[in-house]
Amino acid sequence: MKTKKKKIRLFLILLSVLIIVVLIFFFGSRKEKIKHVVKPSGTSSAVKPTKTVQMKKVTLFFLSEDDNLLHPEEREIQASSSVNDEAKELVEELIKGSKTGLLGPIPENTRVRQVFITSDGTAYVDLSRNLLGANYYGSSGEMAVVYSIVNSLAYNFKSVKKVSLLVEGNERETLGGHIDLSQPFVPDYSLVAR
Amino acid sequence: MPKFFRTLIAGLITLTLIGAVSASFALTGKKAKSVPTLKVTVEDESGFSKLQVSSNTNLSYSFKKSGNSLTISFKAPSGLKLDKKPFSSQLVKSVELAKSPNGYSLIIKTGAEDFTFSHSARKNPFELIVNLKLKGEKSSPPESSFSTAEKPAGQPAQTQAAAATEASAKGIGSKNQVKTIVIDPGHGGIETGAKGSFGTLEKDITLSISKKLKDDIERGLKYRVVMTREDDVVVPLDKRAAIANNNKADLFISIHANGSRRLRASGSETYFLSLNATDEEARRLAYFENNSGELKNEVSTNDFDDLKLILWDMAQAAYLKQSSQLAEIVQNELNELLNTKNRGVKQAPFKVLTGVACPAILVEVAFITNPEEEKMLQSDEFQTKVAEAIYQGLNKFLQLYEKQ
Repeated sequence: MKTKKKKIRLFLILLSVLIIVVLIFFFGSRKEKIKHVVKPSGTSSAVKPTKTVQMKKVTLFFLSEDDNLLHPEEREIQASSSVNDEAKELVEELIKGSKTGLLGPIPENTRVRQVFITSDGTAYVDLSRNLLGANYYGSSGEMAVVYSIVNSLAYNFKSVKKVSLLVEGNERETLGGHIDLSQPFVPDYSLVAR
Repeated sequence: MPKFFRTLIAGLITLTLIGAVSASFALTGKKAKSVPTLKVTVEDESGFSKLQVSSNTNLSYSFKKSGNSLTISFKAPSGLKLDKKPFSSQLVKSVELAKSPNGYSLIIKTGAEDFTFSHSARKNPFELIVNLKLKGEKSSPPESSFSTAEKPAGQPAQTQAAAATEASAKGIGSKNQVKTIVIDPGHGGIETGAKGSFGTLEKDITLSISKKLKDDIERGLKYRVVMTREDDVVVPLDKRAAIANNNKADLFISIHANGSRRLRASGSETYFLSLNATDEEARRLAYFENNSGELKNEVSTNDFDDLKLILWDMAQAAYLKQSSQLAEIVQNELNELLNTKNRGVKQAPFKVLTGVACPAILVEVAFITNPEEEKMLQSDEFQTKVAEAIYQGLNKFLQLYEKQ
């Protein structure tokens, strides 16, 4: 009888853990405001997660004080089996800014909430509200934010064809009254220095 | 140990039950949340009353007029809520929402039986604008060119596509009517725009230059000038385009001061709209741009509903060529009259330009984030010169078109 009691107790513990997991599954996901149906596109660049951290070389685009163009800077990010995770890390690196004296166009206190790439090749980049209202958001300032993100993502991930910016999970009209964010952007490499 | 297995099976069943219950909870919770809300505002404009209905979800609707009331029926399977702002209107007495057999009805009671109405709509976000006016009232609502007044109830809206063709057919050189230039001073109110390091705000510079430009035009040209704002107030970007379209603008000039993270960024540039879309809509728009003359013949009625929405959102697409010419001419004048660096004519997807149904440009006068240019932008002398340069550009563009 004792062993039976023990087993029942063990089972009850397992059961409550499962219930909690189920509840988190159903209620936890409701916080996300993004309505798009997401299907992570391909795990083609899959790297088997081993204990030694695999790195991946990427190219980020920053501004330079010298001209109006975007300038490439190489960087290493942690390789992952999920393109979404790699894309998120790339945008985070972009926000951290340049290590070679270039200018980062995105406010440094911006957080990346989520990056996900849909099967049609649109990357949704969801950023925190700190992205908004920077002093330097004239037309040029806003264009720099948009195209540093769009070009960096499209340049490094084949699955990204266009990029849509979200703020706190929602679509925004503009960052500061200029560039229309309601349509996804395709990369524009004419803005990049050669 | 059969007993153990029995408890295990019982446990699994309870688990599934709990899962199902919580799942249904989650689902019903979502449903209850998504009851669409109708936001209703009523405003009196000169000669008519404007009723604006907006909602976060697209709704299908039909009209019915009887006596002194107008009923708009909405199909709303998941319910509907009303959120109306208090209003006082000469014509519209009350707006109420009532449940009807097929959905909900918005009942608009007016003070008179002999009124007519016209409407326009857009989707994403859903917005329905109904203009009501008394018969015999002389000034007509701006949307009268595609008025659906007196149409039988339930007819789908006549399209903005028709309005857009009409607008493009109107051209610039047409005579016998007062022509209008709309000046759009960028930003306003809490939307300050870019800030300079000495604290200069883009919104103040744009308003100041716009006022000077208005004076220049009124002094030198036989054009009416409409400003999208005269004071330090917030005006939403789509409303600025609506002001231009409702006033049947012939030209739209948006004035801005630039900003960049690069302190050294400097110079003047003039923008016209770029179509940022890559998808099917853009292709169809490009088609329009090239074929706007034969619009009516080319488009099958099946496509009509989609097309009107695209055109409402992207009215500017039909005017890109003229806008680019206007931009070139204005940029040349800026180069002539100002000592700023010439950054040339550029294209970008500016929100404020997309809905404007006439040649439209956006002038970035100089960089407020560049300390030297910030000082320049503050000076009355520089502002006067900028206004003069833009005025000369407009003048040259209009002369070019009036000859044709």
